[in-house]
Amino acid sequence: MSVLNVKVAEVEQVTEVVKHFTLVQENGEPLPRFSGGSHVVVSMDINGRIHRNPYSLMGSTANTDSYHISVRKQENSRGGSVYMHEQVKPGSTLQITYPTNLFAISKLGRRHILIAGGIGITPFMSQISDLNRLGYDYELHYAYRSPEHAAFREQLQEMCGDRVHFYVDSEDERLDIPDLLSHQPLGTHVYICGPVPMVKALHLHAKNLGWPDNHVHSEEFTAPPSGDEFTVELALSGMEVTVPGDMSMLEAMEEAGAEPPFLCRGGACGRCELEVVSCDGVIMHNDHYLSDHEKAEGRSIMPCVSRAKCSKLVVNL
Amino acid sequence: MERGYWIRSKPLYDSLVWKQHATGHVVIAEGEGGIAVLKLFQQMCPREPIKLLFADDTSATKKYADIITKLVPEGLQVCESGEAVLAALREQLPDCLMGTQFYVAGSEAFIWAVIEELKVYGVQDRNVEKELSGTLARSVYCVHCKTTDKDVHHSIHQCSGCGRHLFVRDHFSRRLGAYMGVMVDAEEPGNIPAAEEIYP
Ligand code: FES
Repeated sequence: MSVLNVKVAEVEQVTEVVKHFTLVQENGEPLPRFSGGSHVVVSMDINGRIHRNPYSLMGSTANTDSYHISVRKQENSRGGSVYMHEQVKPGSTLQITYPTNLFAISKLGRRHILIAGGIGITPFMSQISDLNRLGYDYELHYAYRSPEHAAFREQLQEMCGDRVHFYVDSEDERLDIPDLLSHQPLGTHVYICGPVPMVKALHLHAKNLGWPDNHVHSEEFTAPPSGDEFTVELALSGMEVTVPGDMSMLEAMEEAGAEPPFLCRGGACGRCELEVVSCDGVIMHNDHYLSDHEKAEGRSIMPCVSRAKCSKLVVNL
Repeated sequence: MERGYWIRSKPLYDSLVWKQHATGHVVIAEGEGGIAVLKLFQQMCPREPIKLLFADDTSATKKYADIITKLVPEGLQVCESGEAVLAALREQLPDCLMGTQFYVAGSEAFIWAVIEELKVYGVQDRNVEKELSGTLARSVYCVHCKTTDKDVHHSIHQCSGCGRHLFVRDHFSRRLGAYMGVMVDAEEPGNIPAAEEIYP
């Protein structure tokens, strides 16, 4: 996968736990254009081990001088966000992938409802610049924990005017999803990015109200859960890779020198799907891509987030 | 005929069945689609409000409006013609909310005329229940002179616009609601196979 070498031009502390990074191309050239809702995957070398985390691009899609990403510090995660917060300074260099978009605004929609929970606001920042430019009808509903966590509130007010609504949990303000969905005109699309329970609730309410699946869009970047160590055998190359408990199967294969495909690294896009040749235990599916039926069959695995509880897993790679 | 369903653009039609989750239901039918409506109303009716727009095919001997009127007391609007059904639908759509389910039955030309109306309101055709009723007659779009002829029953059709003999393909344009017709004797002028009635 082709990479871009970027330099950190600026770091801004947005809230206690969120930092905003401005990235420019190391060679001074403009960055590739992107569409609202795109993300890049940032590679970090942490003590000799490569971590790759996806982050949404949040700047204006008209601006190709710099990319903007925001990172929430997750203390009990595997270190990627902590590294970004503690080690990455203005002048640091990073490698990122070209932007890909798995969360684009539907061109068929007549009205767009955007729902953000916490740091899930980031993909909407670039979508809003697209929506404003195209003159589309939209509304943004942004829920966050407390006034200290109100990342980008002022900027959003400026960008969206009266189209934005805020819900502050600590002040007992709640977004009523069923109510919001129950009075939308035909042709409305809804988009959500936020914590898993919130995304699940939206899907459930939309389904119960008869919204077709293709009008409901969500972006969840699941961080790969840790688990037990196991061994993967790559049938085509004959390679054997040990996946440590705190590493994803995709990361372990990459570290061993294999080049498996990926796009979202969050179990959403399906790009990394691998055929399972055999497994002497159980596969722990953590993706949102395979159907329940396919998960039960166990013939595929999404190595970016899923792993196995077994001694040996053989995949067709 | 290009047999079977391997052509992706060829639409699939099913039997109308109420959708379980909805905020409302709108049923739109014409002519032989009346049978599909009667079958639909034999199923357990949903609790949400139902609207039914129907027109008999005035030229056909079989009429359904009377039976439907007896069976569907509420929400029924019987119209004069298929055109009038489309006009009535156009009036309803601005008030419809997300979660409204649409059910269409009738000839293929009617089904796609309805879908064109729905598309204006951002309803995608794959989310619409469709039942093809009565005739398999095709609308045929001449790729040479861009004329669309309705009610084509034969495998070879002489275009009313340019007079070319067209082979009626299975390639279907959702935008035009018609199958593509391509000149059958382009390679060997005058060599026109016999037209067979395969879309009764
Ligand atoms: S990379 Fe997208 S599902 Fe694994």
